[in-house]
Amino acid sequence: MNTHEPAGDRPRLAVSPDAGSASGTAAAGHPQRCAARTVRDRAEAVLLSDYFVLYLSLAYMAILIPFLPVLGTPANLSNVLSNMWPLLVVAIGQTFVLTIAGIDLSQGSVAGLTSIVIAVLIATAAPEQVLGQTPVWGWLLTENGGVLAGISFGTWIGVLLVLVLAALIGLANGLAVAVLRMPAFMVTLVGLIGLSAFAIWLTQSNNLRNLPPEFVAMGRGTLVSLFFGEQYQAQLPRREVHAFVTWPMIIAISIALAAHLLLSHTVFGRRVFAIGLNRKAAEISGVPVRRIIVTVFVISAVCAAIGGLMYTGRLETGRPTLGGGNFLLDVIGATIIGGTSLFGGKAKILWTVWGVLFFVLLGNTLNLMNLSAFHVDMVKGGVILAAAFLDVSRQRLQRRRT
Amino acid sequence: MMNRLRTMTAIGALALGGAIAQPAQSATICFAFQDLETEFWVAGHLAITTTLAEQGHTVLERNANEDANRQFEQVNDCIAQGVDGIILIPQDGESATTIVANAQENDVPVAVFNRPPSDLSRGIVVVADNATIAEQAVDFIVDQALEAADDDATLNAIIMVGDLGDPNAVGRRTGFFNAINKHADRFNVTEVATNWDAATGLANLEAALTANPQVDLLFTSSDFLFPTIRSVLEPRGMWVQRGEDGHVWMAGLDGDATACQLIKDGYVDATGVQDLFFEAEAAMEAILRAITEGNTDPNEVIEDPGFALTFENKEEREMDMWGCVLLAEGFLD
Repeated sequence: MNTHEPAGDRPRLAVSPDAGSASGTAAAGHPQRCAARTVRDRAEAVLLSDYFVLYLSLAYMAILIPFLPVLGTPANLSNVLSNMWPLLVVAIGQTFVLTIAGIDLSQGSVAGLTSIVIAVLIATAAPEQVLGQTPVWGWLLTENGGVLAGISFGTWIGVLLVLVLAALIGLANGLAVAVLRMPAFMVTLVGLIGLSAFAIWLTQSNNLRNLPPEFVAMGRGTLVSLFFGEQYQAQLPRREVHAFVTWPMIIAISIALAAHLLLSHTVFGRRVFAIGLNRKAAEISGVPVRRIIVTVFVISAVCAAIGGLMYTGRLETGRPTLGGGNFLLDVIGATIIGGTSLFGGKAKILWTVWGVLFFVLLGNTLNLMNLSAFHVDMVKGGVILAAAFLDVSRQRLQRRRT
Repeated sequence: MMNRLRTMTAIGALALGGAIAQPAQSATICFAFQDLETEFWVAGHLAITTTLAEQGHTVLERNANEDANRQFEQVNDCIAQGVDGIILIPQDGESATTIVANAQENDVPVAVFNRPPSDLSRGIVVVADNATIAEQAVDFIVDQALEAADDDATLNAIIMVGDLGDPNAVGRRTGFFNAINKHADRFNVTEVATNWDAATGLANLEAALTANPQVDLLFTSSDFLFPTIRSVLEPRGMWVQRGEDGHVWMAGLDGDATACQLIKDGYVDATGVQDLFFEAEAAMEAILRAITEGNTDPNEVIEDPGFALTFENKEEREMDMWGCVLLAEGFLD
């Protein structure tokens, strides 16, 4: 099964149907028609290319840089990259679910729950005045921090525990969808509401700081920073040192590579596509549909949890409300913009990478244009709608070419 | 209404203008706020943006829409744009600490307006003395309630608690208990969580009143909850003016226009006042001074002492309260 292969990569005949025409007029018009067709073919090839959204991002930058020179500065590029990594990890999980024609609305609440649970487990101190009335006080959390604070490898044990917790949530979602045949939308909507409320209940909506430095590094640890000299744009002299190779980058790229291999180069991946294209046909063909669906939801939840951990490290705070607001809009929007189909059966991790890049770039440029948060969200909504329309157009085009 | 507010704020801004230190050249200031969901934030936002613009500074506004991560990214974008300084209204004290540290690491001075970071040691922090202001307001209604009650009566008090992740909410709760504990044997206290959210406050207050319908005294940690409180008390016949049977002694904190009107109308008895114009002026002055002095990591806590406006002192002090000034300008018309 190779249904997700973009048609743009296939060899095409550039022979016009009118090639055999005896008409003098037609003959005279032939080179123009051929040229027009070649241009159209190239445009279609670009539209169907794996790199379409990357091209779009580069074109978008090229158009805007003359008006927004700050867009191409090292400081801004460092920001764009830094904003990209945690979102990419969550979007990779969503890509798997969308590929089976499902949706995972619980990712935001999984991220929030993960954020607060890890903080409760590994924080090195906690104020009793703020957290003394919470259900976790006294047995999981004290003034001396979480139960794993100060223990050898406590941070990593905590990370492992929350990943297991996320996997269990994904398992529950997957079982409800695969075995009970409940709609993914409904199951994960319940997860979104229930898990988010549970996360808030755990600390009574309070945030938790004092996270160990090795954990914070997951969200903002830098491996390679580049020094670009003094910056004189501001009145105050400023060191231009910007992080480019960071731990979040390493984590996100590793996960993206693993996910790419899993989705595009394994039997499991082919089965995921088969289910997304036609679940019944996949069942008849002997695909273990239930097992695959459950696994996909587990992957989605674990990705949401890793993303949640990265955001938590980045903000240096466990937050039960992490993943609320427009978070899902960002995750699903970035995935769809990349080209993953809402109807299932069509996805690539590479597409999601470009989708996240474009989405983050969009948010960044709208900020640089000094638009308000409301305008930014309106534009983002419009871009997601355009991406959904583009998805439909690409499918139509692909069907026509195959 | 907004035009009137703008006019009023512009007048206030001009009044503030002369007092604020000016850098050698006009500065670019990033004003990052979490949202403008209450009168206090709306008025503070207008005071800051109008004053800075009047003085020839460029203001880049960033509204995070109550998303701490988004605010973090927006401030980073501001830093990339080469702003000279940042004025921040954070989502909460924890994210403020991270954002302030990040800005200072990038050599950009930052002032936090009204909602302080959990770590007060970094950045310019302009904050009201919430505990003292709350205590003054609650002291007043405690005295009134005890005076009106029988000598041996035990009274029921409710505190609408804010988001305890916000040091402002913690300070206000502390002030409330400081006042109540002076007469600890006379009060049963119920804490109603609001998380600074009107819908949450409404649901929890309804639940508290269903469990215990007798209330003698109520303190809300923010004036913006008074309409919510009214919608719960009024159907139960508990929204009663001073001097009438069944009046619940009420106080709030912020000093907004609604509280001013309700004190005049006799439904609310006191409110703790944050001096919004002082706080806005202090934040702007401090950040502009840091830019002038070339100080990239100014660390300073500027405290707004505030005061309590009560129905007894309102004749003398109402025009010291920003909400009453707005009210006089027709803010609620």
